[in-house]
Amino acid sequence: MTDAATLRQQARTLSGSIVMFAIAFVVAIPILVIVWSVVQPSTDVWRELWATRLPGMIRDTATLLVTVLAGTIVLGTSLAWLVTAYQFPGRRLLGWLLVTPLAIPGYVLGFVWLDTLQEPLGARQVRSIWLAALVLTLTLYPYVYLFARAAFREQSQRAVDVARSLGCSRSEAFWRVVLPMARPSIAGGAALVGMEVLTDVGTVRLFNVSTIADGVLRVWFGTGDRNAAAELSVLLIGVAVFLIAAERLMRGRARYTQSGPKVGLQIQRLRGAPAAAAAIAGWGVFLIAVALPVVRLITWANEARRTGQTATVAGDLPFHLLSSLRIAAIATIACLVLGVVLVVGLNRKRASGAVMARLATLGYAVPGPVVAIGVLVTLAALDRSGWLPDGWLLVGSVIGLIYALVVRFLAVAYQGIDSSVGKVSPSMVASARTLGAGRFRVATRVELPLAAAGIIAASVLVAIDTLKELPITLLLRPFGTETLPIWVWQATSESLWVQAAVPSLAIVAVGMVLVATLLWALEHGAETVS
Amino acid sequence: MNKKRPRYLLGSVLVGALVLGACGSDDDAGSASTEPTSTPGDTAETDPTPTAGGTVTVYTGRHYGIEPVFDEFTAATGIEVRFTTGNDPELRERLVAEGANTPADVLMTADAANVELAADAGVLASVDSATLTDAIPADLRSADNDWFSLSQRARVIIASTERVDNAPTTYAGVGDPEWNGRICLRPSTHPYTQSLVASLIIAEGEERATEIVQSWVDNDPLYINSDTDIYKAVADGECDIAIANTYYLGRLLTEDPAFPVEIVWPEQDGRGAHVNVSTAAVTANAPNPEAALILLEWLATDGQKTFADANFEFPADPDVEPNEIVASWGEFVADLAAVTQLGEFQPTAIEVLSATGYE
Repeated sequence: MTDAATLRQQARTLSGSIVMFAIAFVVAIPILVIVWSVVQPSTDVWRELWATRLPGMIRDTATLLVTVLAGTIVLGTSLAWLVTAYQFPGRRLLGWLLVTPLAIPGYVLGFVWLDTLQEPLGARQVRSIWLAALVLTLTLYPYVYLFARAAFREQSQRAVDVARSLGCSRSEAFWRVVLPMARPSIAGGAALVGMEVLTDVGTVRLFNVSTIADGVLRVWFGTGDRNAAAELSVLLIGVAVFLIAAERLMRGRARYTQSGPKVGLQIQRLRGAPAAAAAIAGWGVFLIAVALPVVRLITWANEARRTGQTATVAGDLPFHLLSSLRIAAIATIACLVLGVVLVVGLNRKRASGAVMARLATLGYAVPGPVVAIGVLVTLAALDRSGWLPDGWLLVGSVIGLIYALVVRFLAVAYQGIDSSVGKVSPSMVASARTLGAGRFRVATRVELPLAAAGIIAASVLVAIDTLKELPITLLLRPFGTETLPIWVWQATSESLWVQAAVPSLAIVAVGMVLVATLLWALEHGAETVS
Repeated sequence: MNKKRPRYLLGSVLVGALVLGACGSDDDAGSASTEPTSTPGDTAETDPTPTAGGTVTVYTGRHYGIEPVFDEFTAATGIEVRFTTGNDPELRERLVAEGANTPADVLMTADAANVELAADAGVLASVDSATLTDAIPADLRSADNDWFSLSQRARVIIASTERVDNAPTTYAGVGDPEWNGRICLRPSTHPYTQSLVASLIIAEGEERATEIVQSWVDNDPLYINSDTDIYKAVADGECDIAIANTYYLGRLLTEDPAFPVEIVWPEQDGRGAHVNVSTAAVTANAPNPEAALILLEWLATDGQKTFADANFEFPADPDVEPNEIVASWGEFVADLAAVTQLGEFQPTAIEVLSATGYE
């Protein structure tokens, strides 16, 4: 290679890096704006918080986090193992249905169970951190379930056979071979669960749980003290960074890829009592997390129709539905495109690449309302700057809303795309490079097509998240845009559960379609990978 | 082959730009449609009987049942209402952040403290209107006339009609040990609780207010973050007395006229029951302040009854009759003196709530 060619190459790398940095930075600005206010800490507020609520907030956050993480890991992993390794009545259908809680927003499951259990348990007992943890576990375990199931499916029977030949029993083989190999995937799913728990503000308030995220809003909106709220947010980001580090640690240096022809795990047929127990466990979870709440919602929706209780907001169901679909679609495409660009463009072996990846995914560790305000402040400053064409305002525009959703959810797309590209066998990439293909050619011709199913799956996860999103849309939506979650909020903020049923059902219905797409992508992903 | 490389990247960026561009043009269309609105609004100023068209843009933290009110306004004046709903504090933050660029002509809140915080932030305009000052008593508007109450909501003591015949008649009475384990309260995150405590501080001083709140907390209250559920908890026997807003009872009585909970008007021998207000204000940077004023004046006069009745509230104008159900609860003394100070004392109220361990 001549010197000129080397120079050109370097120039390209540099310009690529600049683009990557620009994307990561633009996505991180609203969060950095929040973090920036920590430069002048308001010590008075902190002293007061330490003396009063902060210890309780930390205790509640830690309790909720540990309980939900433990719950989702145990539930998600064991259900995944159940439907992967055993044959029992309804196994295949159940394998799909157990993903569907993903379609039900936590705040919907929360108010349905809150109202349902109020009578048998009593109003006092029902408002407990343990029920909040249960509701969050039931809506979030599918993340672990999906990751664990994919990991189990990818495993080869040969590893188990080797373990068995070395004297392991079937259960020993699970604990010592299968589970450790699935550990990185389970940790990945658990990290997502952790972020969702840390940033949840809708579900916890229903159950009087006072977390740090809830405290951010309490301080901010109660006193208008943006600084103190920002400092609490930074505490939250700190916990999130710790979680991510823990996940990395769990994952260690391990990297599991497939090699050679695949022999899936042998499936053991259950009969009699074990088969019944397996079916009861699986169907039981589905019943509590999906079937009963949906039945309750349908009852309420019928009551709303019978008594003529109309919606409290403008527009009918199709109007809200279309608004929701449009916002979710644009946001998903934006996250998808940026996610692919970042995954392909960032070289995370370099420290700078790792930092940029972290920057671009910061928003997922911050509660929605805080992201909303960060974006609002950023865009409003731009609107005032005079840099935009006349008559253009970003606040309250579709572009501003989409930007905010990207800030919040780019991490979901990025992680999903990154992990599926990461699963492409390094030897394949190496072969392509040996044949003279450059980094982007390898990406577009080898990595992305092979990871296509994983990329679709990641997009669906983003779509589900944006479909359920409330605080950002509520604050930044353009006039005339009313989404389904906003309708739910209009009704539930007045405790009108009956009126919230129709939009809740619509969210669940769209969510189910998305979950079906996700499952389809995963089925095809399995084929592509093998 | 090497030359193609940057293009993939460029291509992806272009796709991104196209996606964003598509939204951009959408936005453009959105703002274009709003452009002509200010022009007809200007004509409304010269026309004493406001029948001209135009659009008034509203940020409203009061969202329950607001649409029929706006529809009636449009029918009466020909002015279209474009509105977005949200939570009071977030709408306030939005207004502050937007500054001179705000599309909002009117801010409506469901709470006096939040509108006062907006006024402090300098985003509300002082309004000189005899119609408004005639209709709305001085206690129910800010001294600068930069916000006006449109309706009052009383936060009162409620009691089971089946199990209680000696309900307390003061807020301090709720803290009597007699009621230990028998009270329901709304959590401190809610503005209703914050403004109630602010009113205690205004009337009795911070020290005494802290004692009262502490006595509530010592009574091991059941915290429920929904007034409707608080009413139901009293009806179901989860608690015997509680503090809640009156208008929820209006809704519940419509569904079940025999609902077994009654209102006890507190502090009737003194300052009166705590009231909070729904408010409206013209924004400091309103693109169409004329239409904004017309909306406020209409809400304070012709629209008073619709506005208040939509939610079983008490009209701000004492000459306007409340809804039948509301009227059936009888006359009461309201703590009007505190209304315009609620915002000022809200931060102290939050401190008191934190210090006493109120959940």
